[in-house]
Amino acid sequence: MRKYIGLVLIGLWLAGCSADQQTASEGPLQVVATTGMVADLVQNIAGDSIEVTALMGPGVDPHLYKATQGDLKALQNADIIFYNGLHLEGKMAEVLEKLGRIKTVVAVAEGIPEAALLKDPNYEDAPDPHIWFDVSLWAQTVETVAKTLSKAKPDHATIYQQKAIDYKNELLDLHESVKKQIATIPKAQRIMITAHDAFNYFGRAYDMEVRGLQGISTLSEFGLRDRVDLVNYIVENNIKAVFVETSVSEKNIQSIVEGCRQKGHEIKIGGNLYSDAMGEAGSPEGNYIGMVKANVATIVSSLNPEPVQISTISE
Amino acid sequence: MDAFYIILTASLFSISCGLLGSFLILRKMAMVGDAISHAVLPGIVIAFLMTGTRDSFDMIVGAAMLGVFTTFLIEFFHKRARLQTDAAIGVTFTWLFALGIILISLYAGQVDLDQECVLYGEIAYVPLDLWITQTGLIMGPKAIYVALFILLVNIGFLMIGYRNLYMTTFDPAFAASIGISVSLWNYLLMGAVSMTTVAAFDSVGAILVVALFVVPPATAYLLSHQLKTMMWLTVGFSIFISIVGYYLAVAIDGSIAGAIVTIAGILFAVVFLFAPGQGIFRSKTKQTQDATIEPNLFERENLT
Repeated sequence: MRKYIGLVLIGLWLAGCSADQQTASEGPLQVVATTGMVADLVQNIAGDSIEVTALMGPGVDPHLYKATQGDLKALQNADIIFYNGLHLEGKMAEVLEKLGRIKTVVAVAEGIPEAALLKDPNYEDAPDPHIWFDVSLWAQTVETVAKTLSKAKPDHATIYQQKAIDYKNELLDLHESVKKQIATIPKAQRIMITAHDAFNYFGRAYDMEVRGLQGISTLSEFGLRDRVDLVNYIVENNIKAVFVETSVSEKNIQSIVEGCRQKGHEIKIGGNLYSDAMGEAGSPEGNYIGMVKANVATIVSSLNPEPVQISTISE
Repeated sequence: MDAFYIILTASLFSISCGLLGSFLILRKMAMVGDAISHAVLPGIVIAFLMTGTRDSFDMIVGAAMLGVFTTFLIEFFHKRARLQTDAAIGVTFTWLFALGIILISLYAGQVDLDQECVLYGEIAYVPLDLWITQTGLIMGPKAIYVALFILLVNIGFLMIGYRNLYMTTFDPAFAASIGISVSLWNYLLMGAVSMTTVAAFDSVGAILVVALFVVPPATAYLLSHQLKTMMWLTVGFSIFISIVGYYLAVAIDGSIAGAIVTIAGILFAVVFLFAPGQGIFRSKTKQTQDATIEPNLFERENLT
């Protein structure tokens, strides 16, 4: 029997050798990005000169992402791999880092200075990875991407640099516009309650109080007292809306709405926020700028006493 | 080469798990792998609180310690509190998992920490995690070497301990009367199980490991009540499901672990329906003859 197993393994080895010989593909640079946000960033700088594949599609929680055979092939064939970094990709980031020994692998968060990151004072090595909610921080990742792409395609370097500057300016304009939009909400109403703690950068950048029902880890469910405290907080501050996220279950936030109702405080679900994933490709929310605009429109229209026209969130 | 690397890694781990699983099934402890997958959580949290990092190495050390502790607790509850093994497993792992959750909410609520993102690997990434020597020589995927090492340790352990494990599994009282320490061999087996589980979690992820401990040996058990034959069949099934599962994943562009376990389940169903001795579609006369076979009435094999 042992002999047969040996034969089977040798046969497999041969089959594997012949089937998988890949030749380096000519043509556009193959780039793989982990999240949709990173893919969109790269696409904006590189335009048509490359082909970008995002591993995590619309509505996928990075926590629950499972790699497929196709994803492996994409990673193997990629010329450059971009990922978010700061442990957003969990254990996958470790694999990507190791892959960096034989391929160009870049974490876009690299370009952001340490001091700008939000950290739990007790655990300096574990910063909050949700950097894309502060548009000005996300704008700082543009250079990292442009530099990497320029190195890979030197003949396109000037185009990349130009596009990077344009896109960065576009993002900085967006940052100012978001700031203005959020400032239309009266200070006392500027409190945002979401299902999981993804919006801390947003809160810091745009002067909003942010409360999450769940910690950053999906396992850290809030205790009963946290729930009661949160309900009391909502009632005391007369908060009008809570938000659900496209990539996190609605159930937890529903329990808060129910809790408030029992205390005689009507609270509505302000709408869907895009947190860890963007909207469907092709839809307005399917790119980073559209996603930020949609989030801000949702927040402003739910928390502002005066109805705001969404169209005023200008380009 | 990707296909070969993935199939080889899956086969090596699944043989390790299947061989140990054969004993676990006969000892009514098949779900020990699942128990460990949950019970390692406090180990991960404690390792993080002590080191402040989420590096794989620290996480594996923390997980391995809890793995051994889990199997120790299960044995302890089973022996001292005279609990059935399934109840002992249930009490132990739910308690440890809960402890882990409490530790996270108390000390690490702002840190992304759970088995899924710090411990469980993904079999699809096996070809990406290469072992590169200091001179820059690429030696192939690291997971293959880990899997091979674990398999050799397990085979060594089973070859040395086969007779004693056999005796303590089928007739503990008799084993004790001829001077074999039943507890010692239990702990040794559980130690091997913890080591294999944690190493396999890191390389190929949890679903696959939990299933590999149970499904291939259970399928083999349908076909043979001779322990040695059962173990050989397990080896064959393990390789078969790894190959077919991988190509199913390629065909549907899905999760490789998911596809391998699916194939294992289908194989079990086919054997269950058509097995010559035990299958649903066997002859009536045979049915009455076989009905009395119980694991503890295994024929004595020629012990070598």
